[in-house]
Amino acid sequence: MRFAFRRAGFFLLTLWIALTINFLLPRLMPGNPALAMVSKFHGQLNPQALHALEILFGINTQTSLWQQYVTYLHNVFTGNFGTSMSFYPASVRSVIGGAIWWTVGLVGVATVLAFVLGTGLGIVSAWRRGGQLDSVVPPVFVIASAVPYFWVAMVLVLIFGISLHWLPYIGGYNVSSDTPSLSPSYFGDVLSHALLPAAALLITTIGTWILTMRNAMITTLAEDYVRMARAKGLPGRRIMLDYAARNAILPNLTGFAMSLGFVVSGAILIEYVFNYPGVGYMLLQAVSGEDYPLMQALFLLITVAVLVAILIADIATALLDPRTRTAG
Amino acid sequence: MRRLRTTGVLLAAGLLAAACSSSSGSGSSSGGGSNSSAASTVTISNEAGQLWSCGFSPYNGSTNFLSTGFVYEPLVFVNPLQNGKTTPMLATAWTWGAGNKTLTFTIRKGVKFNNGTAMTPADVVFTFNMLKKFPALDLPGDWAVLSSVKQTGSDQVTMTFKAPAVPYFYYIAGQTPIVPAAIWSKIANPVTYNDPHPVGTGPFMVNPCTGQNITYTANPHFWQPGLPHIKKVQYPAFTSNNTANDQLANGQAQWGSQYIPNIKAFYTSKSPDNHYWFPPTVNVSLVPNLTNPLLANVKVRQAMSMAIDRAKVSSIGESGYEPPANQAGIVTPTFSSWLDSSLTSKYNFSFNPAKAKAVLASAGFHPGSDGIMVNSKGQKLAFTVINVGDYSDWVASMQVIQQNLKAIGIQLTPNNLAAPSFNAALYSGKYQLAYYDQQSFGPGPYYELRNWLDSHNTAPIGKTAVSNYERYINPAVDKLLVTYAGTTSTAEQHSIVRQLEQVMLTQLPVIPVVEAVDWYQYNTGKISGWPTPSNPYAQPAAYAYPDMEQVLLHLQPK
Amino acid sequence: MSMPISGVSTAGPAGPAGPEPATGAPAGPAAPPATRALSRMARAVRSNRKATVGAVLLGIFILVGLFPGLIAHDNPNADAYAPRLGISTAHLLGTTAYGQDMFAQVIWGTRNVLIIAFVAGLATTGIAVLVGVAAAYLGGLWDGSLSLFTDVLLVIPIFPLLIVIAAYLHGGTTIVLILVITVTSWSYTARQLRSQALSLRNRDFLAAARVRGERRLYIIVVEVIPTMTSLLVACFLTNALYAVLFASSLQFIGLGDPNTVSWGTMLYWAQNNAALQTGQPMWAIAPGACIAVLGAAFALLNYAFDEIGNPALRSVRRTRVKRAG
Repeated sequence: MRFAFRRAGFFLLTLWIALTINFLLPRLMPGNPALAMVSKFHGQLNPQALHALEILFGINTQTSLWQQYVTYLHNVFTGNFGTSMSFYPASVRSVIGGAIWWTVGLVGVATVLAFVLGTGLGIVSAWRRGGQLDSVVPPVFVIASAVPYFWVAMVLVLIFGISLHWLPYIGGYNVSSDTPSLSPSYFGDVLSHALLPAAALLITTIGTWILTMRNAMITTLAEDYVRMARAKGLPGRRIMLDYAARNAILPNLTGFAMSLGFVVSGAILIEYVFNYPGVGYMLLQAVSGEDYPLMQALFLLITVAVLVAILIADIATALLDPRTRTAG
Repeated sequence: MRRLRTTGVLLAAGLLAAACSSSSGSGSSSGGGSNSSAASTVTISNEAGQLWSCGFSPYNGSTNFLSTGFVYEPLVFVNPLQNGKTTPMLATAWTWGAGNKTLTFTIRKGVKFNNGTAMTPADVVFTFNMLKKFPALDLPGDWAVLSSVKQTGSDQVTMTFKAPAVPYFYYIAGQTPIVPAAIWSKIANPVTYNDPHPVGTGPFMVNPCTGQNITYTANPHFWQPGLPHIKKVQYPAFTSNNTANDQLANGQAQWGSQYIPNIKAFYTSKSPDNHYWFPPTVNVSLVPNLTNPLLANVKVRQAMSMAIDRAKVSSIGESGYEPPANQAGIVTPTFSSWLDSSLTSKYNFSFNPAKAKAVLASAGFHPGSDGIMVNSKGQKLAFTVINVGDYSDWVASMQVIQQNLKAIGIQLTPNNLAAPSFNAALYSGKYQLAYYDQQSFGPGPYYELRNWLDSHNTAPIGKTAVSNYERYINPAVDKLLVTYAGTTSTAEQHSIVRQLEQVMLTQLPVIPVVEAVDWYQYNTGKISGWPTPSNPYAQPAAYAYPDMEQVLLHLQPK
Repeated sequence: MSMPISGVSTAGPAGPAGPEPATGAPAGPAAPPATRALSRMARAVRSNRKATVGAVLLGIFILVGLFPGLIAHDNPNADAYAPRLGISTAHLLGTTAYGQDMFAQVIWGTRNVLIIAFVAGLATTGIAVLVGVAAAYLGGLWDGSLSLFTDVLLVIPIFPLLIVIAAYLHGGTTIVLILVITVTSWSYTARQLRSQALSLRNRDFLAAARVRGERRLYIIVVEVIPTMTSLLVACFLTNALYAVLFASSLQFIGLGDPNTVSWGTMLYWAQNNAALQTGQPMWAIAPGACIAVLGAAFALLNYAFDEIGNPALRSVRRTRVKRAG
């Protein structure tokens, strides 16, 4: 229990720091980037929306920095992120609401698949050390881990989209021939558009799982209790899964959460290459349109999502591994 | 394996969630089959960089291109590509009064709004007076020159001008869509009115609109019998160029208004029915800040103009889509009839780096130790130039210009800004050089030249200049522009434009480099009637309003 | 950009002292001088096949970065040729849509990428050493607060933070990119170094130095850091790899300076000109492949240093592995 409180405390601290970074960044930048944006929209916004913007970026206000900070925190916790400048007059919240499910679907599914497949391959590869799998897998995936995500996406686009015409490679669905509805044709459209981006994400992230799991397995296989199990004559598969893998997977689990930050980064670039309408793509749009309210909100969203995932993984690890509880 | 089965469920669940909640606009559409298999449907591919807000106010700058022309109509259609050729729309006839101080329109009878009610001169009067009452709505800028609009006679409306402003016919008659008084008079604040279900006299109605797509269906009450032949128009929202280009390339959109890189490989090679045409409209110019002491020296600007290889900027930076401009500022071939070639041969600014260096030498500049031209006072010809970073073709063009000017010893440092920052710097004059084009286009070179040269359009540094960003002030030119505004004689208009060309060639307030174009692609497979270079009956871009109405009225299934 | 592969403890942010397998270079009773550690590393690289490949690749890139003019004779910036030419003997990779020689761009771009890799890699490692080793050695409140700070920064996703900062700065030159990357990505290696330094804290040679009365700073710099040489090199390689990937990604999405010649900016122009769709795939594939190969070089070298650090990972020689079933 104490462990859970510690972790929750850490989570809250990090959340607070992320919020504060978000608040301070535009004020720290040279030349106040938001000023241009506010002046651009001066004629088009109603006074309340303009005032909200000014509060968000601390322009033209007579209040102290602390007062602005408190108002900012209050707005964040009531879900008021202001109006989007590039999707004006839609509110930031509604814009994000439309995009988030695309990313959750794509990234969530691809990551789980990568974790599952990668961990499995890592286990087998470590078990058969020196064998064929092990001599091929580590070097291949070491190299794969250094390949930029967006390049893999581009290669997939080139081969499967443009040269072979097997799969669509732009957007989440075909906007001019399909409307979002509960029809099989729409689902099929969504699925076919999701295949290539998911494949890109899978290829680039699976290497991490394979190798981390493999390394952890190898370390675990050197432990005494494994040798004991072997001496006792237990079947190999049982040792591999029940003794070694179960213990080796734990560092992988927390590593899973930590690497979620990287997965999210990769997803941003993959969405960009595929014009996939998720939050990553939206973040880049916000950047090019100097839509700072949207950009800030997306950054917060991504950070919070990663934090929550880490928290969950930590608690799961604590539940599964007594060692971390005593050490913490 | 158990794990895989769970994953399968997760996969389905995740994508289900994505599918259900993906529409971010005003709710999902009724799932109506929007498959454009019917030949009488046209799908537009125009990337607007945003999802639709489903507002259609014709007097809101961010939504008017979606309703003016489709749903709302002006009094007269004025074709800028045919030197202002007029086609009567809601007005059947018009006459200028004495001294060109009044303009009387005869309003067409028998026109109905798309809700079945009749359009009368009262609606016309109401529309204009609404713009007067709410200046924020007056996008065409009519009331800068009007003093009153009244109904005079059972089907006539007379407009009175403060001073003669003949060129304003384009804005008043051609760019002011007429709205129904019955609906708009009840709106307390039309400036913020969204107009989600627009009621107009035009050939189409909005039915329905979602964040991702607008469907227009034919207006059964349209006043032109038998038209439109096209029964449905799809206007999907694209947030990126690539997606929009892809729709054109694979044939799902027939009418494009896109910048497509390498258009031959991307688009025209895909089908013999794919065509494109890019009619030039305004100049993209290197804009000097004339308050800068070095740039205020006309010889420096002359040297720059001679040193720029416009043909190369056009072919490398713009892939040949945008033709080279001329220093006279007349866009060709659109306005070729206005260009005085004797002037352009007298003041020759064709590519000549040697001559440019000579001009700089005569201005007292010599190459410094770092190769940059410097004068006796130690002032270097090194400038920053602001550019819109999003327009990769402009960034590429600037690289060519940079190399051209480097060759004669002028150093340019490009500063690629995002649009809002760029506009802020440009309008307030906080720049040295800028690369930009005028945002509005009219049926003659007067309109662009007036934007650049009229001192009423400028402002001191730090204040917002409307269109004269370079801060050019010349009372003689102002007088010329006023004289032009007061005449309907083509001979006099041509003479004045000739004098304006002389100003451009001798004083170089801006340096035109290439000519911006309307982006336009069209597929003739199932639909005919498209505007072409030999038949330029309207501006062909889908974002040109109200021209797109003319295009849609001409189109028909084969 | 997947998570760095490392045999050193990846036990999550579970707290200061998580379960750690044996780490650190095998140190004898006397503190080995840095030179001996370096020669040991060189030997390890040579004997490990993967590391040798990585070292050779890196060496090639460095050579190209130092002497680009020898290999590519064209000016990478000049729009001197006909646009969109295909591969030929005159243009080994063809020309871009602007008429620039692609091969020259790739070769000259190497310099920019290597500068980013080495400068950002060194700077990031420097900060990581400062924070990580200081935290481990100073202990107590210092350790607590520095570790907390590190953990927090570790958890905040770096790339979105990079994007936001770069967006406020309206993108930037190479220097800005290096600065921004350095400031945000030191936390992972700081953690690694801290764990390593912690495990060394109670070694005899350090106790001897303390007994001798040496100052803490002296001990940190002269005694502790040299024993961590192999880990330091591994950290540098990791940071260099991430600097390259982050910088290229930022340039790709347009937050770099599009006028510099670099692999990331080549990708930016390729994307803007729909290179893949218009039959110019080399424009996107070539620079991307270079990033991948350079990254692989760093990763392969890093892989070798993992094995130096964690003997359990060393590849098994062709002795028969006992397969229990």
